[in-house]
Amino acid sequence: MTLGNFVRKNRPRWQRLETMLGVIEARGPSKTDRSFLQELIALYRATTGDLAFAQTHYRGTTLLLFLHQLVARGHNQIYRPHRLSVRAVARFFRNEIPQAIRDHLQAVTWSTIVFLLGLALGLSAVQFDERAASIILPTNVLNSIYSGHMWTGSIFSVLPAPVASTFLFTNNISVALLAFAGGLSFGLVTFVILFQNGFMLGVAIKLCADYGLLGALLEFIATHGVLEISSFLVSGAAGFVVANALLNPGSLLRRDALSQQGRSAVRMAIAVVPALITAGCIEAFISPSHIPVWFKVVLGSTLGLVFWLYLLFTGQSPRAVNPEI
Amino acid sequence: MSTTTSPWDARKTELELPEEIDLQLEVANVGSRTLAILADIAFCGLVLFIVYSFSFLLSRDLATDWITRFGANAMEIVLLLFIFGFQWVYFNLFEWLWNGQTPGKRLLHLRVIKVDGTPVTWTDVLLRNISRPIDTFGPMALIGLLMIFVSRKAQRVGDLMAQTLVIHETVIDWSIFDQIEPAESATSAATARAPAIRLSSAQWELLHRYLNRREQLPADVRSRLAETLHETLKPLARGTELELSALPPEQWLVELARRT
Repeated sequence: MTLGNFVRKNRPRWQRLETMLGVIEARGPSKTDRSFLQELIALYRATTGDLAFAQTHYRGTTLLLFLHQLVARGHNQIYRPHRLSVRAVARFFRNEIPQAIRDHLQAVTWSTIVFLLGLALGLSAVQFDERAASIILPTNVLNSIYSGHMWTGSIFSVLPAPVASTFLFTNNISVALLAFAGGLSFGLVTFVILFQNGFMLGVAIKLCADYGLLGALLEFIATHGVLEISSFLVSGAAGFVVANALLNPGSLLRRDALSQQGRSAVRMAIAVVPALITAGCIEAFISPSHIPVWFKVVLGSTLGLVFWLYLLFTGQSPRAVNPEI
Repeated sequence: MSTTTSPWDARKTELELPEEIDLQLEVANVGSRTLAILADIAFCGLVLFIVYSFSFLLSRDLATDWITRFGANAMEIVLLLFIFGFQWVYFNLFEWLWNGQTPGKRLLHLRVIKVDGTPVTWTDVLLRNISRPIDTFGPMALIGLLMIFVSRKAQRVGDLMAQTLVIHETVIDWSIFDQIEPAESATSAATARAPAIRLSSAQWELLHRYLNRREQLPADVRSRLAETLHETLKPLARGTELELSALPPEQWLVELARRT
C-alpha cells in the first residue's frame, strides 16, 4: 500500500482516537461511559496495528513519529494506575508507613547512634572549652545565655506565634526531607544533618547547665522536643536506607536496589511531615507560654509516645497489602 | 539506529508494549529539560516577587493599626509557605495532577513517564522530586546536568531512584497529510485513466508538505520551492503524459499528487 492510500484509509481513525484521548486526558476515565471506553480501546488496538505496519513499510517518515506519539498517549491512558482514593490514602497511613519503619529499624538505630554521638560530642566540647559553643550557636543566643536568661523569650516576642510556627515547620520539614534526599550522597549529607542537630542540642544543654538555665531549657524543649527529635531520627533513617541501597545493593543492581529501597524510604520521610507540622505549632504556641510545666511535660511525652506507638505497633494487618498506589 | 550514538543526538527509548510492538519515544535532552526548569523557576519567581512585595509593603511600620499588622503577618506566612511550596510541593503536585507535567514541562512538550511507558504514580513523583536538592537546586544542578547528559536514558539521580524518564512529545499535526482528491472522471477522463505514479514514502510526504503549506509561504519562496521539487520529482513521471506536460511547476506538482 502506498503511503497516500494508507493515510487516506486510516486517518479518520487516528484523528478520532486523538480527539477521544483529548477527552479522557481532560476528564479522566471515571467520567466517561462504557461505550466510550470500548471504542477507545478498539481504536487504540487498531492504531497499534497501524503502527506495526508503518514500522515495517514507512521507515523514517513523519507519519511514523505521529503514530508513535499517538500510541504512547493511548498506552499512557489505558495503562494508567488507579486514581488516589480515600481508601488508598487510609491504607498508606495505617499500614504502609508503619510497615516501612518496622522494616528498617536497623536504620533507625543507626540514625539514633549518630544523633547521640553528636550530642555527646557537643556536651564534651563545651566541657572542654566553653568557646566551642560559638561554632554552632548564633551570637544573640550566646549573649542571652551569658547574661543569664533564655533566648526563646526575645525571639518569640518579636515574631508572632503563627508566623513563627510556619517558619519552624517549613524549616524543619525542609531539613528532614533533605536528610532523606541526602541518602543519595551515600549518606554523607544525612550524617552531617543528624550529627549537627545532636551537636547543637548537646552544646545548648551543657552551656545552659553552666549558666543555671538547664531547667528553663528543658521546660522549653519538653513539649515539642520529643516529637521533633524523633522525626529527625526517622527521616535520617530514611536517608540511611537510601544510602545503604547504594553502598550495599546485595544481589540486585544498584539501580534496582535504589528504586526498591527508595520506595519504602520515601514512606518513612512522609511520616515525618505531619509530626513536624505539629511540633512546629507546639514550639511556637505552647513552648514559650506560661502553661504549667507538668502540663508541657505530659503533653510532650504523650505526643512522642503516640508517634512511636503508631510507627512500631499499628497497621499490622495480616492481609497482603498492595505496595503501589 | 546504531548503538554508538553521540550524546548530542536525539536519543530514543525503546519500549516494548503488551501489544507486541516497539514504541520509540524521544528522550528529552539537557537543553529542553533545563529550559523547562527555568520556566518553572521564572513562573514561581514572578508569583514570589508579587507576594514578597506585598509582605514588604505591609510590614513597614508606617501603619500600626491591627488590621495592617494582621495583613503583614498573613503575608509573611504566605511568603514562607510559598518558598516551602516551590521547593517541595510545586513539582510534586503538578507532576501528579497533570500526569507527569509541570507548567514548564508543558510549555516545552515534556512529560515524565515510567521507564516501562506507563504513567507515573504519586510515589514515583515524590521520589524524583524530593531528591531535587541533591541534583537540581543551586550548585547541585551540575550533578543533575551531568547525569542527564551522560546517562543513556537522560536520567538524573532522582529519575534513577523513581525509575522514570522524561520524554519529548511530538506535536501531532494531521493537516500535513491533507490530500488532493483524484480528479473525478466527469471533469477529465484522461486523469482517471492515468496510471498511478509511485513515489517513495519520503517523497510523498515531501510533496504533500509542500502542497499543504504553500498558501502560507511568501510568493518567491513558494515558486522557488515548486521549481526545486519539480526538478527533483520529474524523473518519476517518466512514461506518463505528465513527463511532457508544459504545466507551471506548482500546477505540475498538484497533478502529480492527483496521480499518487
